[in-house]
Amino acid sequence: MDPAFQRTKILTNHLLQSSLSSHARTPSLSSNACLNYSAPELSENYAFGIKEMRKLIDGHHVEERDWLFGLMRQSKVFNPKVRGGRVFVSPDYNQSMEQQREMTLKRIEYLPERGVFKGWLTEKGEEVEWRKFACFEVLSIFDHSLATTLGVHFFLWGGAIQFFGTMHHHDKWLRDTENYSIKCCFAMTELGHGSNVHGVETVTTYDSNTGEFVINTPCESAQKFDNVRVPKENLLNSVADVSPDGKYLSSIKDPDQRFAAFMAPLTVGRVNIAVSSVYQSKVGLAIAIRYALTRRAFSLKPNEPEVLLLDYPSHQRRLLPFLAKTYAMCFAANYLKMLYVKRTPQSNKTIHIVSSSFKATFTCNNMQILLECREACGGQGLKTENRVGHLKGENDVQSTFEGDNNILMQQVSKALLDEYVAAQKRNKGFMGLGLEHMNKPCPIIPPQLTSTTLRCSQFQMDALCLRERDLLNLFVADVSQCQAKGESKEHAFIMSYQLAEDLGRAFSDRAIFQTFVEAEATLAAGSLKDVLGMLRSLYALICLEDVAFLRYGYLSVDNAATVRREIEKICSELRLHALALVSSFGIPDAFLSPIAFNWIDANSWSSV
Amino acid sequence: MASSVSSQQDQVLVEAHSSARILTLNRPKQLNALSFQMISRLLELFFAYEEDPNVKLVILKGKGRAFCAGGDVAAVVRDTRAGANFFLKEYTLNYLMATYIKPQVSILNGIVMGGGAGASLHGRFRVATENSVFAMPETALGLFPDVGASYFLSRLPGFFGEYVGLTGSRLDGAEMLACGLATHFVPSAKLPMLEAALYEVDSSDLVIISSIIDQYCEQPSLKEQSVYNRLDVIDRCFSQKTVEEILSTLEREVVHQMDGWISATIQTLKKASPTSLKISLRSIREGRLQGVGPCLVREYRIVCHVMRGELSKDFFEGCRAILLDKDRNPKWEPSKLELIADSTVDCYFSKVNIEEWEDLKLPTRSKFNLPPYVIAKL
Repeated sequence: MDPAFQRTKILTNHLLQSSLSSHARTPSLSSNACLNYSAPELSENYAFGIKEMRKLIDGHHVEERDWLFGLMRQSKVFNPKVRGGRVFVSPDYNQSMEQQREMTLKRIEYLPERGVFKGWLTEKGEEVEWRKFACFEVLSIFDHSLATTLGVHFFLWGGAIQFFGTMHHHDKWLRDTENYSIKCCFAMTELGHGSNVHGVETVTTYDSNTGEFVINTPCESAQKFDNVRVPKENLLNSVADVSPDGKYLSSIKDPDQRFAAFMAPLTVGRVNIAVSSVYQSKVGLAIAIRYALTRRAFSLKPNEPEVLLLDYPSHQRRLLPFLAKTYAMCFAANYLKMLYVKRTPQSNKTIHIVSSSFKATFTCNNMQILLECREACGGQGLKTENRVGHLKGENDVQSTFEGDNNILMQQVSKALLDEYVAAQKRNKGFMGLGLEHMNKPCPIIPPQLTSTTLRCSQFQMDALCLRERDLLNLFVADVSQCQAKGESKEHAFIMSYQLAEDLGRAFSDRAIFQTFVEAEATLAAGSLKDVLGMLRSLYALICLEDVAFLRYGYLSVDNAATVRREIEKICSELRLHALALVSSFGIPDAFLSPIAFNWIDANSWSSV
Repeated sequence: MASSVSSQQDQVLVEAHSSARILTLNRPKQLNALSFQMISRLLELFFAYEEDPNVKLVILKGKGRAFCAGGDVAAVVRDTRAGANFFLKEYTLNYLMATYIKPQVSILNGIVMGGGAGASLHGRFRVATENSVFAMPETALGLFPDVGASYFLSRLPGFFGEYVGLTGSRLDGAEMLACGLATHFVPSAKLPMLEAALYEVDSSDLVIISSIIDQYCEQPSLKEQSVYNRLDVIDRCFSQKTVEEILSTLEREVVHQMDGWISATIQTLKKASPTSLKISLRSIREGRLQGVGPCLVREYRIVCHVMRGELSKDFFEGCRAILLDKDRNPKWEPSKLELIADSTVDCYFSKVNIEEWEDLKLPTRSKFNLPPYVIAKL
């Protein structure tokens, strides 16, 4: 028989499974069972109310956020794409830079048409401030270009007009800014001066003949304006002014205080960046955890199904502590927003310190979280459409803009040092910044730590306060010692940077933890409170893994081992609530990514 | 009244052709309005067919000139618990259809409204004809677009879903196809041939079924005054945050465009129950961000509150004015949008805080290998 014919016959028999091949006992061909996607919604349970949890962590304007999510999801201008049967909205990064800029502009123009920015600059009162924060948190997860353009337009430019302008300036510009009839920007830092903005090299000269200010940057190290003329009436003069005959006038005599007054609008930028970075962490975690609930790898025994990623203790250990941290940051973010909205001249210093601390901490955490989430999604995590990798790349800048995180944390320690000195002078004890625990006797860590103790919020608070207290004492002692040797305070401070770093972290962790405990206390007993309690303990215990606890001896080596084991235990308990906890973020599917849903169908030949 | 032999079996006719099952809604005098018996029967059949390897395709159609004009709500409006039970079964059926592992083809050759939409639009294939008339008319009745409408309306392009749900506007077959409510358009003359072809298909393969329907398909053109040609105005108005703002935006638009259609839309909204409008808007908006299961659970909560009549009696007044006395002049209470606080609307969305009123418990689907297009709806 012709070999080709024979071969064809054999193949045909395989396919038709005919019984006429008497000599051949070849098994018939059949396809292997393929890997199937199983939606986590069908197998995981919600032990508590998702809506209630969302309301708790968002804190305010939940319906407003959903409306804005809906506006973006339903508009072609936000580049909707269907993957795996679901709509996702995300910019098209394959476009050229000019096209992407064009699209960002189109998106921004669409939003005021729908009334999103109504009252942002012209309305007074607390509600609009809260509303702005809520909208910004939502917009910031779409795309960094959108968030930054809006931030500069509304908060830097708009804020400058609001805070430094007089009624004449408000009438002239606020409405147009609000409805985007003018497109605004803000230039402050220079090539050679970023953190120390006080040292900028641009010079403004008043030309009394023409009644104009001439703004000029003479140096290459500064690179701002080339003899730009600005009419006098455009000087935003509520804090400082120039008289008609050219004298500089200000009601604030102290130059440092005056400078601080000028930095005020930047605070809202800092607050916005801090709180929106938490939303970005939520996106990363929602994607990574949903993926880990549907992706399997390796069987423990042959012929058994492969194990779900999130069923591995090691995978739980990677993601769930970050989930706890994100929940902690939610409460701290709401606290920070409240501090800002209810600001008074007296609370300005506190706002500056807390916003610096939280901005540095949240953005630093955000980067770690997005990195871990990207890795937890493997190679697919790098695909732009899966969002996590891209979020990390775009938002990396958060660590250095609106305040370099290192500088901000140094400012925090400096402020704590000043507080310490002031409290001693006052002789009335510590007041403010949550330092009141310094007035009480030093907390004691029990030598033997049990599981119950470790989960007790009082113990957790004691441990964090102990670290903060001791480090503050050490830091003050170190600086004083240096000064006693004849060094200046500034020099002593620079030399003590290591203690300053540890102290800054101690303050931040304790301040964040405090907001978590306070939020938890508002809840009635029930499953929601129980799960939140687990998260709170997990957050506290991962703070206790900070190197300072062993370095300065607040915990013994045995204690540290006990803490480590307890963390593992809580992670395995929280595994059951993972889906509920990320669903409570309330981030619509369109703002997550294909990998968080049916990633098999999204990548199938018929879909691509 | 009804003949004593009128059993639930007769209200849904069943035919079998090879591996296809053809279900015909059979209450032509009531435009095939879904009675409790019909819903129970459909549930029974759908559950059975799912486990039966001999069934590969389900076809649903209506006897007479309608597909299905809606759920028979007038029958249950008097009895709160019976009403809740009716909706419980109906929404369960909707969920089953939405998550069904076998394809359902609905032949929408006539009126498809309210509950009729719920019994067809969740299936994989929806065949419209030149006789199709779709609407979700609930807001005129003091109810709200239920049967999973908060899912399927919210997935329509732009804010068309809000427009359709709030105004109860009617769409023809071409419009249904254009916006995605229908998957195919087949002229009614070709339906017998289509059905005959489907009887022979002997497969659950979506590609095969789709290509069969494609053979009889046509691409209808939208009428010039079709509401679907005015998506930009619809989006501008119906994307607004509140019903009041939707109305005021429409009122501003009517000044710029000497347009009968916008004034008609305003009139329709003004005649609807203000409570219904607010509930419907919020339901559709929330539904946009949820899967079909949570949508139905939420709708069930709302309908329980509506049935209990503690917050408003508009549903009963609507049924009286439109379905029973037919004076078409309902007296809504509260009568104005401004009189309805957000906190009142909130109440409709919360669980009924009474022992016997449980949340809707949807049948488990985890034992099945759900097809991707079902998974995408969860």
